[in-house]
Amino acid sequence: MSESIRRRDALKIAGAAASAGAAAAQTSGDEPIRVGFVGVGGRGRGLLRNLLKLDNVQVPALCDINEENLARAQGMVAEARQSKPEGYSRSETDFRRLCDRSDLDLVINATPWQWHTPISLAAMNAGKHAATEVPAAQTVEECWQLVETSEKTGKHCTVLENDCYYRHVLFVLNIIRAGLLGEVLFAEAGYMHDIRAVKFGVAPGGGEPWRLEHSAVRDGNLYPTHPIGPVAWWMDINRGDQFAYLTSMSSKARSLKEFAIKEFGADDPRSRRDYKLGDVNTTLIRTVKGKTISLYHDTNTPRVKEHIVRVQGTKGAYNDMLNSIYLDGISPEQHRWEPADEYKKKYDHQLWKKMEAEAQGSGHGGGDFMEMYRLVKNLSAGKAPDIDVYDAAAWSVIVPLSEDSVAHRSKPVDFPDFTRGKWKTRAPIDPDEII
Amino acid sequence: MSNSTRRDFMKRTTLAGLGAATAGAGTASAQDLRPLRVGFVGVGDRGSFHLDVCLGMDNVEVPALCDIDNAYLHRAKRWVVDAGKPEPELYDRGKTDFLRLCERGDLDLVVTATPWEWHAAVLLAAMRNGKHGATEVPAALTVDECWDLVETSEKTGKHCTMLEQANYSDNNLLVLNMAQKGVFGELLHATGGYVHDLRLVKFDPEREPWRLQHSIDRNGNLYPTHPMGPMAWWLDINRGDRFDYLVSMSSKAVCLNEYAAHYYGDKHPYASLNMKQGDVNTTLLRTVGGKTVTLYFDTNTPHPQTAEMRLQGTKGHYSGNMRSVFIEGRSPEAHTWETVEDYAKEFRHPLLDTFDPSRFKTARGHGGGTTSHVMWRRLVNSLMRNQRPDQDVYDAVVWSAISPLTERSVGVKSQSIDFPDFTRGKWQKTPPITLA
Repeated sequence: MSESIRRRDALKIAGAAASAGAAAAQTSGDEPIRVGFVGVGGRGRGLLRNLLKLDNVQVPALCDINEENLARAQGMVAEARQSKPEGYSRSETDFRRLCDRSDLDLVINATPWQWHTPISLAAMNAGKHAATEVPAAQTVEECWQLVETSEKTGKHCTVLENDCYYRHVLFVLNIIRAGLLGEVLFAEAGYMHDIRAVKFGVAPGGGEPWRLEHSAVRDGNLYPTHPIGPVAWWMDINRGDQFAYLTSMSSKARSLKEFAIKEFGADDPRSRRDYKLGDVNTTLIRTVKGKTISLYHDTNTPRVKEHIVRVQGTKGAYNDMLNSIYLDGISPEQHRWEPADEYKKKYDHQLWKKMEAEAQGSGHGGGDFMEMYRLVKNLSAGKAPDIDVYDAAAWSVIVPLSEDSVAHRSKPVDFPDFTRGKWKTRAPIDPDEII
Repeated sequence: MSNSTRRDFMKRTTLAGLGAATAGAGTASAQDLRPLRVGFVGVGDRGSFHLDVCLGMDNVEVPALCDIDNAYLHRAKRWVVDAGKPEPELYDRGKTDFLRLCERGDLDLVVTATPWEWHAAVLLAAMRNGKHGATEVPAALTVDECWDLVETSEKTGKHCTMLEQANYSDNNLLVLNMAQKGVFGELLHATGGYVHDLRLVKFDPEREPWRLQHSIDRNGNLYPTHPMGPMAWWLDINRGDRFDYLVSMSSKAVCLNEYAAHYYGDKHPYASLNMKQGDVNTTLLRTVGGKTVTLYFDTNTPHPQTAEMRLQGTKGHYSGNMRSVFIEGRSPEAHTWETVEDYAKEFRHPLLDTFDPSRFKTARGHGGGTTSHVMWRRLVNSLMRNQRPDQDVYDAVVWSAISPLTERSVGVKSQSIDFPDFTRGKWQKTPPITLA
């Protein structure tokens, strides 16, 4: 049984990879997707809430070391599905028993970063697809493990990058495919979000205090996938192009210590220790075909949340900060921005036209619903997720590679080719397939 | 002559030692001082603008002009005479005729607005002949030239300044003032760029035909000073901090070929000529004090001009694109922008109050609005008193050295390249810039 399912999945994956998009007809959308969920804290329950909006989803099993979180999530499922899922909370590794169940198709995890790869691997090795919160991995080795395990088991491994489904992100994908920007040359994007209170556990709801330790002992871009996911789609990364190398630079680290002193007093241990993570990290990436990317990471300074998002092509530019667009020879005035609004109407992505009502209020600009919707839809149709294991690996590996570069005076560091050459022949993301 | 050189040198070393503490402390009023006598080398599109700004100032005389183009030269001469100043002598014998101009006995300052490769040569000739030198940006194209400028300035006691007017824009001065008053806290990062579609200029033989050749032969950040100048002042570069190293990365080069093909046809040589300069160059710089800078250079792609100026400190940040500021504890809403105008009144740089923009007539030529007038008045006032100009030789070379250093980094897969310390340690004791 499990062998034949695996074989069927493997064939479908191979088919999808060979001719992405060609498999649209063979959906079996009525088949429910059975999901085990690991980590149902604040973020996990937010994802679960969106998952439960989809009618062809069953949730037979939940796992969390925090029994209160677990009970709340069980209550959510019971209310939505009239059946209480089994809970797993014996220990930090109890997700293994969950993965061993025979009645799951997919294991989603929203746990602290260091658990993302072990849980994804356990899921695939037990014959389930894996979906993980960002980032998918912390080390180059983990990235390779995800890739090789997915290839070996025929199971998908995806990273839940909600930013890829933002309305403006899919709009930009549409105008790129329509040729409005010409060939994409450069993009600037960032995760610039003051989460000091989250790191120190003093945010409303408690925050994510495990994050602080990463800032204490590491320096680099620790959270690259939100900005790089969209850029990778726009630039056909793993699908016609490939990241070649990066160089990364961090400023000094000041802001976390200052926050601790202000919040807890100068004598508090949190004020007296050092934090290694530079407040502002900038990483430059070059692709094999000569596109470049500036990527910012700043989760320490007091600031307005910014994604930046500036895209430059050979025929035009899009600037999300200014909500403006400029198209050579098309924009009415030379070298003057146009408001992007009219273009955003005309090139609005069909996923948003269709699902806007469902996505409203789902979190992160609707991206939280859209990513769950697309994941379940693809898996129930036997198709590869929009974001596959090669994407998960290439986007996440920026973390360890940037750490390596920062530690060595910003030396250039090569990207591994996780696709082993397949990037040359894989078809670019087709926005019409994201529906 | 040698007497005055020695006197100048002593004054200058005194000033360097005491730094800004003595800036502006000269007792002589402008009326008591002899006018500044300025020779111009290069009076084309940009040079004529500088000339016209100077002709609007009572305390400037223009005894000599130099250009290889006679039309420019005679137009400039006419402007000088029309301004009621004595007729200038013209130097038109060839590309190196600026040497004769520099040898005149009646000049205090030589200004050059020539193609890039002549900037350092003219400056060196000026200083070696006992004149101050002022140049259009950038001051130099190689690290060797940068050292030459520093050592010649130190040896002759003559100032070498760069005419970077971006430092004097309202917003850049506002941010400088806010930074120096500690509004942003300890500074961490700045972003800026020269993002300006110059495809037409590069291909227009009437304007700056020499520019295209740089894009054909070189790859890096070829024009760093417009964004770097203001940021360097914000970040106390050469004045308490200095650049440690940089890395630089260029995208592929597509747009110049495409532009040539579009306007001149596929068969035109420029449609297929290998252009080295990547369309978008990005450079990261780190200071010894741990601040970082992101610097953009893009003169090839289609876009509206933008400087992308941003500044981040431990207390808040500024975005030039958004014309916005957020300061923790001061901005009324957490994590929410205020407009820069909310700060413009309280933190308007006092320097601007000493100038009345309505007195500035619009200058002819390719210019920079009132910022150039402010810059020129600052420069003339400094040099008349033989005080160190706002932009000194160390600023000129550090901002300009970014070009050759980025070319080197781009050529070796974005490896980090160390910055020479052109101040030889003086950065540690030099106080932040004051524009009193």
